[in-house]
Amino acid sequence: MSDNIRIVIDEEMIGLHACGHDYLFDYRTGLVSLKIAGKEWLYNAPQPAFWRATTDNDRGNGFSRRSAQWVGADLFSIPGRPSLMVGGKPVAIPYTPSDGSTGGQLHASEASLCYTFTTPTVPSTKVDVCYTLDTTGSLTVNVHYYGKAGLPELPAFGLRMVMPTPATGFTYFGLPGETYPDRLGSGKKQLVAVEGLPVTPYLVPQECGMHMDTDWVRVTRETTLNNADAAIAPFSLTFAGNSGSFAFSCLPYTPLELENATHQEELPPARRTVLTIYGAVRGVGGIDSWGAPVSEGCSISGEKDIDFSFVVRS
Amino acid sequence: MATAAGKDADAAPQEEYMEPSLTWLDDPQTFRVNELPAHSDHCCYADAQEANERCSSLVRPLDGQWQFLYVDQPGLIPERFYSPDVPADRFGLIEVPGHIELSGHAQVQYTNTAYPWEGSVFRRPAYTTPPDDPQAVSFSEAPDNPVGLYRNTFVLDGSWATRPLHIRFEGVERAFYLWCNGEFVGYAEDSFTPSTFDLSPYAHSGENLIAVAVFRHCTASWIEDQDFFRFFGIFRSVSLLSLPETHVDDLDAKPTLEDDDHTGVLNVSARFSPVQDGSKATMELADREGNVLVRSTVEAQRQTGWPIYRLKDPHLWSHGDPYLYRLTLTVTDAQGGVVEVVPQAVGFRRVEIGADKVVRLNGERLRILGVNRHEWSATRGRAITQADMDADMEAIMSNHINAVRTCHYPDQLAWYRMCDEAGIYVMAETNMESHGTWQKLGGDDGSYNVPGSFPQWREMVIDRARTQYETLKNHPSILFWSLGNESFAGENIVAMNEYYKKADPTRPIHYEGVVHNRRYEERISDFESRMYASPTDVAKYLENNPKKPFVLCEYMHSMGNSVGGLREYMDLFDRYPQYVGGFIWDFKDQALQVTDTVTGRKVMRYGGDFDDRPTERQFSGDGLFFADGIEKPAMREVSEEYGRYER
Repeated sequence: MSDNIRIVIDEEMIGLHACGHDYLFDYRTGLVSLKIAGKEWLYNAPQPAFWRATTDNDRGNGFSRRSAQWVGADLFSIPGRPSLMVGGKPVAIPYTPSDGSTGGQLHASEASLCYTFTTPTVPSTKVDVCYTLDTTGSLTVNVHYYGKAGLPELPAFGLRMVMPTPATGFTYFGLPGETYPDRLGSGKKQLVAVEGLPVTPYLVPQECGMHMDTDWVRVTRETTLNNADAAIAPFSLTFAGNSGSFAFSCLPYTPLELENATHQEELPPARRTVLTIYGAVRGVGGIDSWGAPVSEGCSISGEKDIDFSFVVRS
Repeated sequence: MATAAGKDADAAPQEEYMEPSLTWLDDPQTFRVNELPAHSDHCCYADAQEANERCSSLVRPLDGQWQFLYVDQPGLIPERFYSPDVPADRFGLIEVPGHIELSGHAQVQYTNTAYPWEGSVFRRPAYTTPPDDPQAVSFSEAPDNPVGLYRNTFVLDGSWATRPLHIRFEGVERAFYLWCNGEFVGYAEDSFTPSTFDLSPYAHSGENLIAVAVFRHCTASWIEDQDFFRFFGIFRSVSLLSLPETHVDDLDAKPTLEDDDHTGVLNVSARFSPVQDGSKATMELADREGNVLVRSTVEAQRQTGWPIYRLKDPHLWSHGDPYLYRLTLTVTDAQGGVVEVVPQAVGFRRVEIGADKVVRLNGERLRILGVNRHEWSATRGRAITQADMDADMEAIMSNHINAVRTCHYPDQLAWYRMCDEAGIYVMAETNMESHGTWQKLGGDDGSYNVPGSFPQWREMVIDRARTQYETLKNHPSILFWSLGNESFAGENIVAMNEYYKKADPTRPIHYEGVVHNRRYEERISDFESRMYASPTDVAKYLENNPKKPFVLCEYMHSMGNSVGGLREYMDLFDRYPQYVGGFIWDFKDQALQVTDTVTGRKVMRYGGDFDDRPTERQFSGDGLFFADGIEKPAMREVSEEYGRYER
């Protein structure tokens, strides 16, 4: 196996590079740059997603209030310093300026960086987000949520990536339409192409656009924020299930932006792409909108571990 | 003022009044004055060609621009505004049909159970408080009872000037007085059923003036507390009808299927008014290909019946195969000339509840894959057009929905004909909902619930049942009569139940309210009907030797992003034969499209967006479709699940 992964251990960042894929990891915030063929895919570092915008049903049955802590977790969970493994062995990360280490450059056939996020919930819990690069440049992302007794049910659990400009569309292999764990009867898995970043125009903006049981999703953009890049040509990034399928939504808004608006026209102009890969999704419910819970098995316990994994590739 | 109490329940209450009184607004015992008795919604044509082309020279629409003046309260109505001697200087124009609110004259308001005057004007329904209650506030003198004053002219010439003339209002919210050429004609309530008056004594050849005063509130406001935008005005079509010398005033066509499942029975009778000596009426039944199966001529009398006709193995009517026979009445005068032709589509079918509490249509188990449907357009409110109805029907047909509950009032007449033709099963709801009189924040309280058991409220609600029955009785699509919605239960609803049972033994009767007042369980409703019961609770009822078949008159509240767990309700079909299914709440979001002043975009607005208080915000946004008819994502789920059981 070739050692074509280049690992740059620097003072504030660690860079992982392979086959035209360039990843920069900030010691404080996480993966801050994902660049393929010169095109940047991240506006800021991926964050664990603990919230989806509440639905009329969530509000009616008091779920939003019972689980309100997760809004804070969604906004304010922070990672500790990452740990680096190269070729299966831990490598010390320089603690500049005083620890004497100077960093440097390595070559290997595999490298991974892991961040552990701590939630501001009571009690607090942790989420591990680990990125592993292989020699093709593909990045495997493993996410692990540590369940903790006393934590309320989760609206959703995933990893959210905000891309710098709005996507022109996305294609996926999965169930057509908007699907949830308790609303899956929409036909067979198929190739689905979606134009733009549609937001379902519910009277009051709320959670929308979920796609359950997806094998892979490919997001396509045409524009960048790079002032020196005037090219208008489609470029894409693919997210594929690692061992099994996942759920995702691809919207121009974060859950909090949706949560704040009381009408569709109060949503801000669409400027970015918010792609969230979910390991667990709560059902929408439907018996009534003033108290009935979601179906059994369609809620997410905050007390149990959740694991999911996907691969990012060009 | 007791005008209707004590009348024979089989006859429409009739009182002759020469002079109108505003106090009628305050008394539930006055609800129709000089109105013609309710009758079937058949169409009349002068001859067979007109009937084939569905273009009648006997009917003239009065829709379009009317003169209009809005006044804030009854005391401000200009004197003799209805008289041709008084010029309409202050009047502007308004479109009929339409809502006064959407013409910009009155504030839009959406409220659910709370009455629009909640917290502003203290009121309790008439006769529910001690006499001379100092707190009682009448509607006739109320500060919050605006009035829409309408005027319109029409010209009568030729035969129209000499023949009897009727005027029909298909829907007016909420109470109205009618004048013709300055003379008082009549008064009507019951917003969602037609009101017909005889204009003959007042109209003359040449130009005629009709004037209408429409009041936002009357005692009926208490029982028209439907969870919807509150509107008033002439919101459905108005038309004139010129009567031939002998005229089919009411047609009662009863096609049934006998218990042997093979014998169709057609029993046709009609009421003629006017009727000239020597007139004859031929009843003809033809199949869809035009083959005449029976032709029978009898002398036309006020009450006329044709011999009962039996048909071996009729082609039955059902959702999958909505086969309609064509019944035609042809009326001839003494010289044998045709004076009127009445076509009526009829369908042979039998709906029944077996001893095993299973609901069957034509002997086969019936599964209701239904939706509740308010009449709604994002731009026209409840004043919907034929195009709106066509779009609704197309959406229903393409998504495997087989049934509609008309929540909670009778729909436009065209809708029932469309359901006959499309094979959509209809649960036809009487115009009644009074949840604001018993659903309280602290729970159910029937202490001043109307209609309840108050004798003064009885005839009014029986009349609503009668009007719905008489108007819609010939539609094969209507499988069930429903007594209304969320009005609790009492002796007056028992009386409605008894009325329908007697008038129409062929259709089961539905009412959910007994769930809240089990004392009336044996006397109201052939169904155990619930709203929003969980699949577990439904199963619990059905597993314990059910007394009645079970229907969910409302379920799967489709508010916002919803309709999770439908599969669990569908599974009940496979487990319980007495499970009839249900009606999803509801078909289309009720929201109004307006232009946003900030962005200039066309946007959807809901309760509270018009500075309206009290309001229930977006609670009426619970459709499978958005208000503009665009499908919500959940529709796909419904289509898929209903599709498995559709037949």
